[in-house]
Amino acid sequence: MTTYDSDKVARIHSDLHDHLPSDSALRVKALESLLVAKGLVDSRAVDAWIDLYAEEIGPIRGARVVARAWTDAAFKARLLADGTAAIEEFGYVGHATGHLIAVENTPAIHNLVVCTLCSCYPFAILGMSPGWYKSNEYRARAVRDPRGVLAEFGVEIGADVEVRVWDSTSELRYLVIPQRPAGTESLDEAGLATLVTRNAMIGTALCKAPRTGGG
Amino acid sequence: MDGVHDLGGVQGFGPIEIDDDPRPFKHDWEGRMWGINEAVAGGPGWTLDWWRHVRELLLPLDYLTRPYFDQWAQIYAALLIDSHVATLEEVVEGKPRGAGSAGASPMRAEEVRAAAGRTESFRRETGAKPFFGVGQKVIVRSQGTVGHTRLPRYVRGRPGLVHAYRGIYVLPDAKALGRDEAGPLYTIAFQAGDLWPEAAGRRDRVFVDLWERYLEQ
Repeated sequence: MTTYDSDKVARIHSDLHDHLPSDSALRVKALESLLVAKGLVDSRAVDAWIDLYAEEIGPIRGARVVARAWTDAAFKARLLADGTAAIEEFGYVGHATGHLIAVENTPAIHNLVVCTLCSCYPFAILGMSPGWYKSNEYRARAVRDPRGVLAEFGVEIGADVEVRVWDSTSELRYLVIPQRPAGTESLDEAGLATLVTRNAMIGTALCKAPRTGGG
Repeated sequence: MDGVHDLGGVQGFGPIEIDDDPRPFKHDWEGRMWGINEAVAGGPGWTLDWWRHVRELLLPLDYLTRPYFDQWAQIYAALLIDSHVATLEEVVEGKPRGAGSAGASPMRAEEVRAAAGRTESFRRETGAKPFFGVGQKVIVRSQGTVGHTRLPRYVRGRPGLVHAYRGIYVLPDAKALGRDEAGPLYTIAFQAGDLWPEAAGRRDRVFVDLWERYLEQ
């Protein structure tokens, strides 16, 4: 039975630090072998999860949700009122999206999402989180120097715009609805979805209109 | 706990390494670890918040330097040892020394698609009423917590405004101890200038989800 004893676990981590192989691949291989032998994991199920996140569950889901919000005001209102219910219209509810809050970028507000305490992320609509989102640097700096962070991503926010940083400290998960770029009036929902990037839905990018013309 | 995991606002970190590689996993072992985490049958008494706390308890050096999914492997190693499902030797060798099976029934491949469409609700209907109202000023408790908590250090003792009341949610501090308690959850808005001296006068705000027990009048 679990002890819930912090001091005991700190000692276990100290032992593991001394005895586990340094190579990450070896660590995970040994763990999977042991869990399979103990009857706690079926490797075919592990394969299936990897396939699902490689092929199906990715930022395209969030992009389709945003594109619909851009083209359907009633859907946008539902998305802002109850993010989870709105993405369930697409059948997208899943891992870490049971309490989804959509926050909308406007000419006056730019939203940015972080998890300073671990790396919480709405996996079922954005897929696997990017490495930088899980980095110490992003987690430390996003709440303190959001404009500096955004500049590193090539995003300049005017002094008259409020930057809102959302720290995912509970089981609520945040999805940024980026601003629809100008010059996209002729695009349909599917075309608009191609403009919505993963980073734009975290807040570290803006959506851009497709380049027109040759060259 | 006052740990290195509580990174919000900690200074001294350099530029963010931005990598636009669209692949979900750069290394096979990262994907394996993700899949293991999704497919594993839980051990006795494991909870999401205890899992998070076990990560927080990594040696600070390991927390700050070992790769992300490598830390997950160590979380499971520690969970197994702590709950007597495996020994240190078994974890290091990757094979059981004794009888083997822990008697659980792990997720099957055929069940993965359905599992991927399920989500856990952390909301509870206890009948409790929120003490604070939207727009009200609050002060975050200044004391830290010995065990797991979702109250980040950078807002302790700081004034904020109730931006939203979210409902009654499972309390992580208790769940990390195996107890099912719940309480009112709010999103609190902090002016950047109330958090960071260099941000005085900046219009930006930081929004943090905080349970009522983290707050004072």
